[in-house]
Amino acid sequence: MINHNISPKDFMLPQSVEVIRGNINKYGNPLALKGSEIASWARELNLPLQGEDYLFYTGGEYQLIPYIDSLVQAMTMMDQGSKVFSLMMGMRNLIDKTGISAEKLYASVLARDRERYNKISYKAASILKELGLNFYYLGERELYSGALLYELGFWDDLKIHAQKVVSLINETGAKTIICLSPHSAEVFKLVYPKLIDDFNVEVRTFVDMVSELLTAEKKLNLSGFSGKVVIHDSCRMARELGITEEIRSILSKFEGITMVEAEQNGKWTTCCGGPCKILFPDISGRIASYRVKELEETGAELIITFCPYCMAALDKGIDSKKSTLQLEDFIEFLYRGIA
Amino acid sequence: MSLEKKFQKYTAELNKAANDKNIEVALSRAVKSYRSNTKAALERHPHTVQMAEEVIELKKESIKRMKELVDQARESIELNKGKTYFAKTREDALQLTSDIIGTKKIVVKGKSILAEELEVREYLIEKGNEVWETDLGEFILQLRNERPMHIVSPSIHVPREQVAEVFTEFFGRPIEPDIAKEVAAVKEFLRDKYFNADIGMSGSNVVAADTGAMVIIENEGNARICTAVPPVHVVLVGIEKVVPTFQDAMKVSEVTWRYANYTVPGYVNIISGPSKTGDIEKVTTYGAHGPAEIHVIFVDNGRSNMAGEDLFKQGLHCLRCGGCMYECPVFQQVAGHFGFRYLGGIGAIWTAFVAGGLDNAAPLIYNCLRCGRCVERCPVKIDVPSMITELRKRIVALGYSG
Repeated sequence: MINHNISPKDFMLPQSVEVIRGNINKYGNPLALKGSEIASWARELNLPLQGEDYLFYTGGEYQLIPYIDSLVQAMTMMDQGSKVFSLMMGMRNLIDKTGISAEKLYASVLARDRERYNKISYKAASILKELGLNFYYLGERELYSGALLYELGFWDDLKIHAQKVVSLINETGAKTIICLSPHSAEVFKLVYPKLIDDFNVEVRTFVDMVSELLTAEKKLNLSGFSGKVVIHDSCRMARELGITEEIRSILSKFEGITMVEAEQNGKWTTCCGGPCKILFPDISGRIASYRVKELEETGAELIITFCPYCMAALDKGIDSKKSTLQLEDFIEFLYRGIA
Repeated sequence: MSLEKKFQKYTAELNKAANDKNIEVALSRAVKSYRSNTKAALERHPHTVQMAEEVIELKKESIKRMKELVDQARESIELNKGKTYFAKTREDALQLTSDIIGTKKIVVKGKSILAEELEVREYLIEKGNEVWETDLGEFILQLRNERPMHIVSPSIHVPREQVAEVFTEFFGRPIEPDIAKEVAAVKEFLRDKYFNADIGMSGSNVVAADTGAMVIIENEGNARICTAVPPVHVVLVGIEKVVPTFQDAMKVSEVTWRYANYTVPGYVNIISGPSKTGDIEKVTTYGAHGPAEIHVIFVDNGRSNMAGEDLFKQGLHCLRCGGCMYECPVFQQVAGHFGFRYLGGIGAIWTAFVAGGLDNAAPLIYNCLRCGRCVERCPVKIDVPSMITELRKRIVALGYSG
C-alpha cells in the first residue's frame, strides 16, 4: 500500500502528457500526424505491403522527431499553468471539431529537418535491400508502437493500442519485425508479451539485423567520410536490449574511420536526456548538452547514434552548446556507401 | 495542491538548481572523484564485487524475515541491557524519541538519513531542546537551513566561500574561506557541545540480529564522539537494516563503504549496548566512560508495505552508498533537488512508500529517465526503472480511473 496526500481527482498529470496520450489514442501516433505523411518516405521504393518473414517497422519514430521538438519548444516557452498554455492545449479540441490538419500546428518545423528525418527510414530500407534482405512494410497502415504510453504509465490505453498493432502485424503473418527505433524494439520485445497473449514474432533491431547480414560476401562500402567517430550508445539499446558490440564491429571494418570511445560508453552510456523531454524540457536539454560535452572530450568529429530520440536530443545539445561536432544516425552513416 | 501544481513547483525548483553554478562545479568534481576513487577501491579490493552478490542474497533473506529479525535484534539488545522500541509510523517514532529525550536537553547527533526522513531535529527543537548536527556537512546545512543534497556528502553543493560566509555570521567572528580553518572552527565549537550534551543520537548502517551489534560507518569521528560521550545514546534505525548475523553485518558494511568510494572508512563503530565495567569486584556497572543508557528505536514507517510487494521489496536492499546518485544524469545537473526526503531514482521509490507519499513522489517518478545506469552502479542491482514503470502505472490508475 502506498499513501498519498491528495484526492485521486487531483492526480492528473500535466497537460502536455494528455496531448501526447490523446494523440496516440485518437490518431495512432503521439503528434497526430497522418499515416500518409509518416509513410511518405517509402513512395519511390515500392516496397511490398505483404510478405512472409521480415516486416520492416519504422513506427513513425524518426519521422516524428522534428515535430516532437517543435511541440516541446512551444511548451518550453510557455508557463504550463498559464492561460495561453491551456488555450494552446485547447486547440487540440478545435482541431478535432473543425478538422484542421494537426500538421499546421507544427508549421514551424523546418523543411530541411523534416526532409532529413523522413529520409532515415528510406535509407534504412535501402540498406537492407542492398544487403539482399526481402522484407515488406505496412505503409500508411503502420502504427506507432505505443512506447510513450508505456513510458508515461497509461497501461490501459497501451493494451488497447497494442491489440490494434498486434492484429495488424499478425494479419500479415510476420515472423520477424525489424525495428528502427530501440524504443519500439523494447516495447515489442519486453512489454507486449505482458499485455497480449498471441504476439509471437521475433523482435530485431536494425543494428543487429545489419550485423547479421554483413558477411564476407555481403559488404557495404563507406564513401565520403574519413576521420574520428564516437558512438553514443542508446540506453535502451545498451542496457535493456544488450546491444553494444554489434555496431562497433560493423564500423571497425570500414577504412578511413578512427573509432574513439567516450569514457561513459556501452552499458555505462550517459542518457541523452530525451526521456524526460515532454515534462521537463529544460533539464532534458541540459542533460543533452552534458552528454555532448562528454562526447566532445573524445576529440571525435562525428557522433554516431542509433535511436531517434537520442538523435533529436543530441542535435539540440549540439546546437545549444554551439559545438562543431557532427551528428549522424547509424543509418545515415551506412547509407553514405550506397548513395 | 493538485499533482499538476506539484509538478510546476518541482520544475521551478529543478530549473533553478540547474542554473546554480555551485551545483554544476561541485557535482562535476564530485562525480569525477567518486568514479576514480571507486574504481581504485574496487581494484585494490576486487573481492568486493563477489561480496556484493552475497549481500544481495543476504538482503533478500533478511527482508523476507524482517519482522522475525527485528524481534531477534531487540531481544539481543535487551540482553545487552539496552532498551528497544518499535515505531510503526513517523508520529510514533517522534513520540518515542521525545519521551526519551524530554525537553531542555542538549542533543548532539550524527548523520542519519532516517532522522531526515522523520525530521527529528526540527521536532526536538520544537520540543524545547538544543540539537546540533555534528557531521560537518549536516552542520553547514543546519546553519543554512537546507536539506541534504547527497546522502553521503550532504553539503556537496556548498563551496568554501559560502561556508565561510555562514560561519562568519554564526560564530560572530571572521572565518576565512580556508577549508582547514573552517573545519577547525566547527571542531572547537562542537567539542564543547559534546561534553555538555545530555543525549547523543545516531542512526546505524546495519544491525546484526544475533548479537544486537549496530554498525555506524563514518570518517569524521563525530559519530564516535556523539555515541560515546553523552550519558544517553538514542539510536534510530529502519527495520530493513537488520541482518541475521554479525558476520553478515560486516559484509554489508564493507560493500556499503566500498561503493561509497572508500577503501576503508576512517571509523567503523560497533555498538551493542551501554558502556559498562566489571573491573571492581566483577560487579557490572553501567556508564563506565560512555553512556549508561542506550535506547534503540526500530522504525517501520512504510517499510513493511514495501516489503509486502514483490516488485518493491528490493527497494529495501538499498545500502545507501550513494553510488547511483553520482551516475544519475538528472542528479548530475541538479543534485538532491531530484529528491524529496530521499534522493535520486531510488529516492523516488522511498518517497512514495516511506517519506512523502505518491503525490510528492510523482514529479520524481516522472523525472527519472529510466535510463538504468543506476542499476549498473548499484552493488545490489536494484532495478529502479522497473519500479518507476510500475509507480507511473499506479499514478495513472489513480488519476484517470474515473
